[in-house]
Amino acid sequence: MNLVLHVSKQLANAFGLLLAVLVLNFCLIHAAPGDPALVIAGEMGGASADVIAALRVKYGLDKSMLEQLFTYLGKVTTGDFGYSYYFNEPVLGLIGQRIPATLYLVLSALAMSVVIGTLLGIISARKPNGLFSQGVTVISLAGYAAPVFWTGLMLLLLFGSVWPILPVTGMTDVARPKAGLAYVLDVMQHLVLPATTLGLVYIAQYSRLARVNMIDALTADYVRTARAKGLPEIIVIGKHALRNTLIPIVTVAGLQFGHLFAGAVLVETVFSWPGMGRLVFESILRRDYPTLLAVLFFSAVLVMAANIVTDLVYRLVDPRIRSGGR
Amino acid sequence: MPPVLSVKDLSVSMNGTKGMVPVLEHLSFDVAQGKTMALVGESGCGKSMTALAIMQLLPEDFRVTSGSILLDGVEVLSASPKELRSLRGNKMSMIFQEPMTALNPLYTVGNQIGEVLRQHRGLSRRDAHAQAIQFLKAVQIPAADKRVDAYPHQLSGGMRQRVMIAMALACKPKLLIADEPTTALDVTVQAQIFDLLSELQDDTDTAIVLITHDLGAVAELADDVAVLYAGRCIEQGAADEIIAHARHPYTRGLMACVPHLQLGRAIDHLAAALDEIPGMVPPLGARGPDCAFLPRCAFASEICRAQPQPPLDRINAGAAVSCWRHQEIAPGAMA
Amino acid sequence: MTTIKSTAVKPDTTMLPARAATSPIAAALRQFARSPAGVAGAVVLILIILATLLGPHLYGVDPLDIAGAPLTPPDADAWLGTDYLGRDILSGLLQGGRATLAVGGVAALITIVIGVTMGSLAGFFGGPIDTALVKVTEFFQILPPLLFAMVLVTLFGQSLVVVTLAIGVVSWPSAARLTRAEFLRLRNLDFVKASRAAGGGNGHLILRVVLPNALPPIIVSATLAIGVAILFEGGLSFLGLGDPNTMSWGLMLGQNRNYVLDAWWTVTFPGAAIFIAVLAISLIGDGINDAINPRLRKRG
Repeated sequence: MNLVLHVSKQLANAFGLLLAVLVLNFCLIHAAPGDPALVIAGEMGGASADVIAALRVKYGLDKSMLEQLFTYLGKVTTGDFGYSYYFNEPVLGLIGQRIPATLYLVLSALAMSVVIGTLLGIISARKPNGLFSQGVTVISLAGYAAPVFWTGLMLLLLFGSVWPILPVTGMTDVARPKAGLAYVLDVMQHLVLPATTLGLVYIAQYSRLARVNMIDALTADYVRTARAKGLPEIIVIGKHALRNTLIPIVTVAGLQFGHLFAGAVLVETVFSWPGMGRLVFESILRRDYPTLLAVLFFSAVLVMAANIVTDLVYRLVDPRIRSGGR
Repeated sequence: MPPVLSVKDLSVSMNGTKGMVPVLEHLSFDVAQGKTMALVGESGCGKSMTALAIMQLLPEDFRVTSGSILLDGVEVLSASPKELRSLRGNKMSMIFQEPMTALNPLYTVGNQIGEVLRQHRGLSRRDAHAQAIQFLKAVQIPAADKRVDAYPHQLSGGMRQRVMIAMALACKPKLLIADEPTTALDVTVQAQIFDLLSELQDDTDTAIVLITHDLGAVAELADDVAVLYAGRCIEQGAADEIIAHARHPYTRGLMACVPHLQLGRAIDHLAAALDEIPGMVPPLGARGPDCAFLPRCAFASEICRAQPQPPLDRINAGAAVSCWRHQEIAPGAMA
Repeated sequence: MTTIKSTAVKPDTTMLPARAATSPIAAALRQFARSPAGVAGAVVLILIILATLLGPHLYGVDPLDIAGAPLTPPDADAWLGTDYLGRDILSGLLQGGRATLAVGGVAALITIVIGVTMGSLAGFFGGPIDTALVKVTEFFQILPPLLFAMVLVTLFGQSLVVVTLAIGVVSWPSAARLTRAEFLRLRNLDFVKASRAAGGGNGHLILRVVLPNALPPIIVSATLAIGVAILFEGGLSFLGLGDPNTMSWGLMLGQNRNYVLDAWWTVTFPGAAIFIAVLAISLIGDGINDAINPRLRKRG
């Protein structure tokens, strides 16, 4: 009951924000220097004079701004995000094809960074001044400072020429089957380097976060209680301290979904991973504005979805939020 | 019958920036089955460190530097981590000052009580849950079968401390250490918790080490008392004897702070002089060999300044005191 | 009689109004000097800045001139090799550092100015102003910042000014949240009430009373914002969205990235430069944080 109400409030809020993103997109098209028709067609696209004229009529570019805005929003509600003259395809279809690859990449990087980051943080928290802990601190500083596209290039260099044991470009091998287990394995193999590259940044951040929170948790009264009950260390840490350590990580991971997505644009470019990021790169190159703006909108949709999921996980992990207590 | 807990010559030090600093010095006491030993003193006098030393849960920088702690004949200080785990929560358990923070906010109270039973009695999840309800009933929590699934933040402070007690007594330990169990609670609830402890002790015959600065509770619950000051035991003996004939100026000062415990009529004028002890416990590391209470003592004289703190001097079968002038200022002497 | 030394805890200076301006700063500097990592970061950053200011004059090779055959490995002539057009990499690094660091610094400044303005207004006034500004912040937070910057630069043109503005405009929400939280905490403290009672206007209260006390975390976040802005500049340039007429580390990476397997030196050095600069800045940020919050130092 409470939960349903809460989720519907969140959805309403998300709807409002996404509407605002559409208005922003509309404003960007009109604020950009040059003819909006050309912007919609994409400057470098093969739009002929006929196409431009047709666009003027279709988007009512001779009418008032407000009318144009409603025309634009009306089109979006029917799933019309414009037409990519470079790819020669409706934008919505393009994005639909590219979303799965990006989700594979982003979600595996996320899972990897949360799991490995938390583990490193926990181990280093047990001896905060030990060698391992200092190593983790150094790794987390380095992971934070290294530009993700550079890490990617360095890994590409390492596995592309020095030690060629992993595929460095694309998502599949042309020579391999396109279905069944072999296909899955093929994709997973190709996923290793991009996901690692993207994950390293967040492993760095989460290990640091986990370390601080674990050190805090280990001095907490309830951990002392758990020890006073004679529980083995694995339960003291794995049950009592861990859950309290995970809460801030869940929060931060949710908040950072947008960053993760933007990082994917760079990583996909490095490894020619055929996702939305690669699409962004290609549309920047071709000045394909409808595609670019639609990607911005759908990335906002993904971020909103991530926020709602995070909130639900948070409520699941922390009963104090769930029951509206303190 | 041998005592359940026998602490001999226990000393604890803190490993500070300037080397080892004594926190607790040469403390000895016994607690027999069904009896209650009270450790009394202001904060910072070493009471909690004693409790944590017995449980072997001292914070990282603290070490036991000498002594022996026998629990039911087993030396706690030389027990392996595994042996300690089988003692904690099972033969000895502890309840803490802050029931809010001592319970994990993320698990139901039933889970946290059942955990002890699953660990030490090997109960299944379901049996542990059923038992948890029984224990919640035993600590007089109403609607126990509903409260068992509540989270700590949904309970009042007094309820939480009852949960802590249920958890501590779940495995029928020989020894219960209660570290200021009522300090964080409302005054009306404090009495209820003490009554509950005393009732449960009658049922289970558990030995209790009660850490408190509430002398009212000592008078009501304790069989024996040790008064600690700055890590040293300055007066020790049967509770009745100490309450009736406190000899150390510090003990008497403490009692004067408790309005309903007015001491022997004869020393009213002394009590008035003491009823607020001026100053504070000397900080760690600033404790010399002379009497630690000296700077605050209204009775300090030449001998106190010239001599180191005297050892605990057995006055009679029921009491021992560490004071050069205890005979001069004893209740009787002034009468 | 012996006097008794009180063990009273020292007052927590972070809770006190910052009045005597010089002594806390001097104290913070002394604290900072005690953090070896922070000092190391400061030294490295100063060296990098000096190298970009003096280096081009000393090295004397124009970064846009063809200095040799394309993709020449490092040798005696071109110490770090040449790029795909035959331009000298070291010269590019020295010259390109100026643009990279300048963009980083200015974009961080924009980030902080917008963020602090939004956050302080929201936190100080509360009520409907707060609600509105929080909504705006929330809106900017659902747009992935780097992606948003890409869109802005693509639409408004690839110049250093647009790149800098774009980075500043997309990055401010976290500074705003931080400032708002500080203002919410501070605005009800006694010294603020006292200033209000003494007749201080809102402008005076915000700028002179609350803001100085909210500064410590803002300074830390400003430092880190420089690092983030440098990473963003690199990311934009890497995708070909930098200013093509101004040499920068990101531009070098972006232009040479297709040759990574043939000429490792073309991308390794510019990337390493970004890495070291950002690392130095984040070490400085940590050092400042430690200097300001000595209580947290142990936990890092």
